[in-house]
Order: sequence, then C-alpha cells, then structure tokens
Amino acid sequence: MTATAPEQQTAEVVYDVKDVTLRFGGVTSLNKVSLQMHRGEILAVIGPNGAGKTSLFNSLTGVYTPQEGSITLAARKGDTLTSVLGQKTHVINRMGVARTFQNIRLFPALTALENVKVGVETRQKSGPIASMLGMPWQRREERESTEKAYELLRFVGLTRRANDLAGSLAYGEQRRLEIARALGTEPGVILLDEPAAGTNPNEKQELAALIRKVNIEDNISVLLIEHDMKLVMSVAHRLVVLNFGEKIAEGTPEQIQKDPVVVAAYLGTSEDEAQAMTEGLEVQTIDVREGLLDEPGAAGTEGGQS
Amino acid sequence: MKRRSVEAEARIENLKRFGACLAGGFVLALMVGTQEGTQQDFGYAFRQSVAMPRILIFLGIGVLLYLAITFGPRAKPYLTRPGLRPLGAGVLTVIISLTLLKWTDSPQINTGKFRPLADAAAPTQALDSLARLWFGSAFSQTAWLLLIIVTVLAAAGMIRRSAPLSYAAAILAGVLGIWAEYASAAVSKFLHYPSHATGGAVAMLGFFTIAVASLVSARSQAAEADTDGFIDRVLGWRPGLALVVLGFAVGLVGVFNAAWFSPGDRNATLSTTASMFGATNLNGFAQTYLDWLGFVLFFVTLVVAGVASYLRHRLLAYAAIVLGLVSTLLTLVVVHDFSALGGKQGFDGAQGAWDNLGTGAWMTCAALSLFAGAGYLVLKDLRIEAKGVRAGSDIVGSGTAGARGQVAAATMLVVIIAALFYPPTATEFWQTVLVSEIGIYVLLAIGLNVVVGWAGLLDLGFIAFYAIGSYTTAYFTGRLPVQPPDWLLLSPLACIPFAIAACLIAGVALGFPTLRLRGDYLAIVTLGFGEIIRVIANNANGFTNGPRGAFNIPAPQIHLGPIHLTWGDSALGFWYLLLVLIAIIVLLFNRLENSRLGRAWAAIREDEVAAQATGINTRNVKLLAFAIGASTSGVAGVFFASQVGSFTPENFVLNNSILVVAYVVFGGMGSLPGAMAGAAVLTWLPEFLKDQVPAEDRQMWIGALILVMMIFRPAGLIPARRRKAELSGLDRPSSAEATAVPAGEGM
Repeated sequence: MTATAPEQQTAEVVYDVKDVTLRFGGVTSLNKVSLQMHRGEILAVIGPNGAGKTSLFNSLTGVYTPQEGSITLAARKGDTLTSVLGQKTHVINRMGVARTFQNIRLFPALTALENVKVGVETRQKSGPIASMLGMPWQRREERESTEKAYELLRFVGLTRRANDLAGSLAYGEQRRLEIARALGTEPGVILLDEPAAGTNPNEKQELAALIRKVNIEDNISVLLIEHDMKLVMSVAHRLVVLNFGEKIAEGTPEQIQKDPVVVAAYLGTSEDEAQAMTEGLEVQTIDVREGLLDEPGAAGTEGGQS
Repeated sequence: MKRRSVEAEARIENLKRFGACLAGGFVLALMVGTQEGTQQDFGYAFRQSVAMPRILIFLGIGVLLYLAITFGPRAKPYLTRPGLRPLGAGVLTVIISLTLLKWTDSPQINTGKFRPLADAAAPTQALDSLARLWFGSAFSQTAWLLLIIVTVLAAAGMIRRSAPLSYAAAILAGVLGIWAEYASAAVSKFLHYPSHATGGAVAMLGFFTIAVASLVSARSQAAEADTDGFIDRVLGWRPGLALVVLGFAVGLVGVFNAAWFSPGDRNATLSTTASMFGATNLNGFAQTYLDWLGFVLFFVTLVVAGVASYLRHRLLAYAAIVLGLVSTLLTLVVVHDFSALGGKQGFDGAQGAWDNLGTGAWMTCAALSLFAGAGYLVLKDLRIEAKGVRAGSDIVGSGTAGARGQVAAATMLVVIIAALFYPPTATEFWQTVLVSEIGIYVLLAIGLNVVVGWAGLLDLGFIAFYAIGSYTTAYFTGRLPVQPPDWLLLSPLACIPFAIAACLIAGVALGFPTLRLRGDYLAIVTLGFGEIIRVIANNANGFTNGPRGAFNIPAPQIHLGPIHLTWGDSALGFWYLLLVLIAIIVLLFNRLENSRLGRAWAAIREDEVAAQATGINTRNVKLLAFAIGASTSGVAGVFFASQVGSFTPENFVLNNSILVVAYVVFGGMGSLPGAMAGAAVLTWLPEFLKDQVPAEDRQMWIGALILVMMIFRPAGLIPARRRKAELSGLDRPSSAEATAVPAGEGM
C-alpha cells in the first residue's frame, strides 16, 4: 500500500528549511520548524487545523517572510541552494516552484486551455511589440504554448474540456486543471495544498494516480498538504507532522501511524494521556489510519462546493 | 380572524403602492417641466408643472405604472410569446419618430418635428393627397391612429395566436412603413428642401419591425420567444447574403434615385449627371461610366456576389471581391473627374474636385464594397469549415461559435463601410462631430479599455495622458513658452512617437509607486494624478502658458517623396486620418488581446494571487497595461492638438476622465468593439439630441439611457467574449458534475 521512498543515497536536498519562525503580531504561527525535502520524493505535511501547514506553504512560496530561520531552495536538478526569503512569489515560481491552492484559484473566465497557456507562457520571452506586430518568433512561441498546453491537458485528462471555461468545469476537473497550470511553468517542485478537498472517492483515486504520475514521469518533487489520511498514506514517501506551529514528528507513513505524539495531537489530548490511549484503545489509532478526521473546516469547504 | 388581517394588510399594501405611483407621476411632472423661474417669481415653474391638463397626464402615467406593477405578473406568460418583444421595439421606434425626431430640416416648419409639420401639411391642398392623408384627417393625425390600430392588431394576433390576424397586421405595418417614408419624401419635394431629417426613415424602420414581428409570430410554433436565437439563425444561414441584400437596397437608391451632383439645387441623379456632362469635354471613360457602365458594374457585381453567397462558391467569391473593389475605385475616379470638371466649369457653384456632390456616388461605393464584403465572408465561411473538419473533436460547439463569428464579421464590415462612405454625405456639423467628439473619444476608449477592461485597473485620471499628448505636440511644434531646439521642431504627425514616449514615461511614473494599490484605492490615486496634471497645466505659466493654453498649432502634413498630403479646412480629411490611426491601433490591439500579454492581463484581473503564483510578474504586466493605454491616449492627444489648433487646460477636466470610463463600461468592459461602440453611441447621442429635445433635458435622456442599459444589459452594448462566456457558460450543464458526489457523503 505505502510507496517506498527513493533510494536514500540520491537524497539531494530540494528545500532546506531551518528553524523557521513566523509570527503575526503576538501569534506564533510557525515555531522553529526545520525540515528537508529530497529530490524526487513525495513529502506530505499533515496536522490538525491551525497547525501551520498553510503558513509553511506560504513561507515556502514567498507569500509570507518568516522572521527567523532560513529557507533555501534548489528546485531543479543541478541548481545550487539559494535563499528564498524575501523573494517575490513570481520569482520563486521562476526558480522552479509551482503550487496549487486549497480553495481552487483558477482564472474562471478563461478557457481550460488558456489557463494552462498562462502558466506555460510565463516562461516565454516575446514582448508586447512582437505580439502587436505578429513577429514570426512570437507566432512560433504562441504555437508552442498551445501545443504544450494541449499536452498537459492530455496528461491530466482534460483534453475534451480544453475550450470550456475553467469556471464551468466540475470540481475535480478544476483541481486537475490547477495541477496542469502549475506543471505548465516547468517546475522542479510542486506544492499541492489539499488537492483532495471536496473531491469524491473516485476523483481521489484518480488524483492519487495523477500525483504519482507527476512524481515519476516528470521527476518532480511533490510537497503535499492533505487531510485525507488514506490519500496521504498511500501516496507519500515521507511525512512531516505539525501541531501548533511546531514539528512534532517526521518519518515514513508506517512510523507516523504508530507515533504516539501524533495520535495525541490528533486527538487533542496531552502527551501522557495519549500514551495511555494508544496502549489501551487501539481503535483510536485505526481512526487515524482510516482517515476519519473530517474536521469542521474541511467539511465546510466541501459543503460549499457540492 | 387571521385571514382577514392578511387581506386587510394586502389592501393597505395596495393602497400604499397606488399612492406611491401617483406621487411618482407628480414628481415626474415636476422634473420634465419647464425649468424657468425668475428672481421675482420662484413659484412659476412649479405652477406651470402642475397646471391642470398637464398634471392629469402625468398622474395618468402613475396610474398606468400602478396597473403594470399590480397586474404585470398575471400578464407575464403572454409577454414571452414570440414577436412581442420586437413588436414593443417597433412601436417604441415609431413613437420616437413621431415625438422626438425631426421630419424635415426646412426652416419653414417650426422645430421640424412631426406635430407642427402635420399641422402645417394637413390643410395644404397642393401637397400630394396620400401624404396629406398621412399627416391629418378628420381624426386629427392619421399616423397616430394607424399606429394604434396596427399595434392592437399585431398584439392581438400574438396573444391569441391567430395567424390571420398576424398576417393582417404584418401587411398593414408594411404598407404603413412605405406610406410614412413616402409622405416624408413628398413633404421634402413639396418644400423644395433636401432633408437630412430622420423621422420618416425611422418610422419606416419601426413599422417594418412590427411587420417582421407579426410575420414571425404568424409562422412560429414556439410558445416561448427566442429572439436572439432567431436573429442568429437568420443572419448565420448565409452570412454573405445579408450584406448583398443590404448592398442591393443601398445601391438601388444610389444608382437610380439619389443625387450624384448638385444636391439641393438640381439633385441630378446618375443619368441626369450623365446628360449634364454630355456636352462637356469629360474624358471618355468617365462619360461611359455615367452613361451606362455604372449601372452595368452595379448589377454584375450584385449578381456575382449574390450567387457566390448563395452557392458558397470560392471562385465566384474571389470574383465578387475583385469586382466590388475595382468598381468602387472606378466610381471614385469618375466622381473625382466629373466633379473636378464641374468645378472648372463652375456648375451650380462647384468649387473643384469632390465638391458639390450628392449622396448617390457614396451610396453606390458603399453598395459595391458591401458586395466585396459578401465575397470575403464566403471565403471566411469556407475557411472555418475546413478548419472545423481538421480540428475534429477538439473544438466543442464550434458550429454556433462559427456562425456567431460570421455575424460579427458581417457587422464589422458594415461598420467599416459606413465609416468610409457615410461621412462625405453628412452635413458639415456632423463631420465636425465625427472628428472632434466621436472619433477622438473612440480612440480614448480603446486606450482606457486596455487598463480598465483587460487588466481590470480602474483609472479615473485617464484624461491626463491625453493632456500630456496634447502638450507634447504643442511643445514640439514650438507653440509653448518653452521652445525645443530648432532642429527638433516637428510637424504634428512626427510628434506621435514623442507623445507616445512621453505618455509611456508618465504611465510608468504613475504606475510604479501606485500599482501595489488595488481597486478603489488605485482609482483615487489615479484621480489625483489627473487633477495634478491639470493643475500643473493651469499654473505652470512659464512652461504651459497657463490657463490661456496653447494655440496656433499647425495642421498635420505629410511630405513623402511625391506624396504631399495636407490637412486643414475640412473635417472630412481629419476624419480619414483618424480612421487610419484607429484602424492601425485596433489591428495592433486585437493581436495583443489574444497574445501572451493579453492572457496575463486577464489572469491578473481574474485572480492576482494565482497569477503571481503562476509566475506572472504582476507589477510589470500592470505597468505595461498602464503604459500601453496611456500611449493610445497620447496619440489621441496629438491628433486633437493639431486638429483644433488651440486648447486650454479646461479641455482636460476630471469630467472627461469619468466620461471615458462611462463609455467603456457602457460599451462592454474588455471588449474592443464594445468600447468603441460605447464611445461612439454616447458621444453621438448628445449631439443628436441637441436638435430633438430641449437643451436642459439632454443630460436626463442620456442618463436614462445609461440607466436602462445597465439594468437590462449589465455586461455592456457588445459584451467581451470572455465575460460574455462567463455569464452564459456557467449554467451550461457540465457532463462530469452529474456524477460527482459530495465528498462527505461519499465516505
């Protein structure tokens, strides 16, 4: 069931997060979080609501700048580690990091094809004057972007919806389109923020397959935030668990499932009690494994979409 | 007990509504009243407004309103019957022609509208009897009576779904349409006054609309109307054919009826012109054209274009294009030749080439170009078909999209041809309006559309860039207190690159510090920018000449080898120059909209955060929108400065910025044809209403139009493709959605 991590000897670092602390006024959202992401792996970040997962994501992509610590990145093979702190979002994207959003953020009035083209074209050169005059190289780039966008739509299985408006697609289709748009920017790392939220079981399976495909075929490292434990456990090579802005555990899916601290965090009890519970009440651990952790927040977003 | 209280409440509610409607009628009576009052007698206007017979009419309007609100819902099922909406439009058009529009320009008739004309015409024995009957009879004005009869007949036919009634209404309406135009023409003839008044023609249009609505209703099986779909189907069937029919109608009048030479004096039609120049030494070809070649060319092109459109034949389509364009050119050459000769001979006060011409030649040119346009549409149709087959299943629903594209292309061709051949026939007043109001604001709206429509940045200081363009021109032509070095003194058209550069710089200077602001905040900052520029222009006496502004700016000239073009006295010349500028800019911007940058603009407009995360440098992309929009406005500024010759800071007040925003919103934000149409309609309307309604009421009519428009068509006159699709596309059932199960339930 669980995938094995790629061989550890090739464990080249993609993202190196060291002692990152992020505060909003008096609230500490991330507290001395450190983690390393390796090339070619699928790393999942889990944790209860408010654990700081999305804050971590936003720090990694330049939306927030943490007050302490360092974040360095070598997204593509052969890159050297460079700091992303203080960099603008689009610059970090150009360094090879693409992302999707928890609440889907497509360009609804553009067609599916155009959405992907926007992503592809951020890597192109031709400027406004070339476009206005219809220069040959601009036409070539336009053709290339269309071809590449079609290719990506085929990759995520949306060829038939290419000329439909993104806003008119079904929920699961929108999720996949967001991934296609992210892939259009030729990333070395892709960050998926709750890609399975609001999708049905069928779509979840397709999504898991798609994530593996992205990881293996395109050799892209995947950082995944997800509530759906089934999906996480089946897809991720490694997990990092956050709670109240602190990293409380890290390891393979098997290790995490057995980790008493994690269980306690999810059950919302103190460490001692949790210890007792994992010894006594086997049922609760199964709950974690089975992914019956539908928090109110997640349920809310789902409800809004149906 | 409880039941009764509910009933009582409903009754009170009803009474309240009735009272409110009456009060509304009263307020309307005050608003539409005379606006006069004197220092001694402030109550004058009020007493006038509530004078006895008048107030009753307005209270009657209130009662009607009450009835409409109360019984409207019950009538609703009948109101969706096919044909009722067009019938309403037709009746409204006729009413407008009978109340607002002028039926003659002749100074003999006070205001020239229908009623005074009818009062004067009805008892005039010398007038054609049919026309006399139209204007009046024992029952005062026959036209009104007939309008009521045909409306009742048509409405009854539609609501009772009776085909005979509808056919009768259609025939009656058709006859009335012809009668209206006939009466109007008879009056013109009788008064010996050539008319640009639109009343008769608009009445005809209205009656014909009623006729078509009745016909549709008689033949329709549907219970619910689908007017838009119907129009699409009719126009989309053979797109070229519509142009051919239009060209036929216009050309027929042009060749046989309209004046080619000496309008207002001799009204010489094509054949009379031929005999007029028969005795002169007009060159052989022109004489041949006037004698018979003109007719032959018209009919041959007509037949070729018609057959090509009907059969969708490629070779014939090419033939129609070539024939149409060549004969248009030949017509122009002939017109030049005979008018030049007429000027030399001093015929009817002709001054020289292109002078003392009637509408006939231009109508013929328009018709011939329309035939060429039909050929082009056929080719386009064939190309779309070939493409559709090749692209296969990838394009969803391309059939209707293709048809709609064809209708759009046909409309565009008609507009272009009208823009080319209508202005020479217009009066000098309208030529000036075309250039200094419509044309310039169209250009400004195109520029602002980039910023507001495409990139979604509200700019309330847009007129500042226009000012910068104008002052740049004044500077480089040496008309400001500060002079450029001698070697840099330029002719106005050569200022265009400098004006563009100045506006680019100003656009970036404004954009750089402010673009992190969003929405309302940005709007306020741009508003401030606009005011700063105006205040600087007004106060920097040493540089801008202060409130006196710049004057004596030369008219544009082009000297390129053997080509010498100068502009000056006629507005018409400026119009064609402006047309060239607009055409170039539209071509360039059209490409831009569907390019990488255009999509990036759409992306930041839709979702700025997602755009950033996708790697779009939002700051640069926004700056580009500002700069490109500003440079268009700079071009408009150059044109404006060299056309009017003098301007002051008062030309660049805040009001103008707001107007341009209104034009873009009215036309359809983000749609290039929409922004142009919006600017054209809203700059044309005040000038048009000048003749038709009291000056004080003008703004009220315009406001009412904008209000109605925003209620019934919020996306604008010609909605943008992307927005339009967004509005209509989201309710299209998506195949996958039906099978989707909400996640919570699926677990």
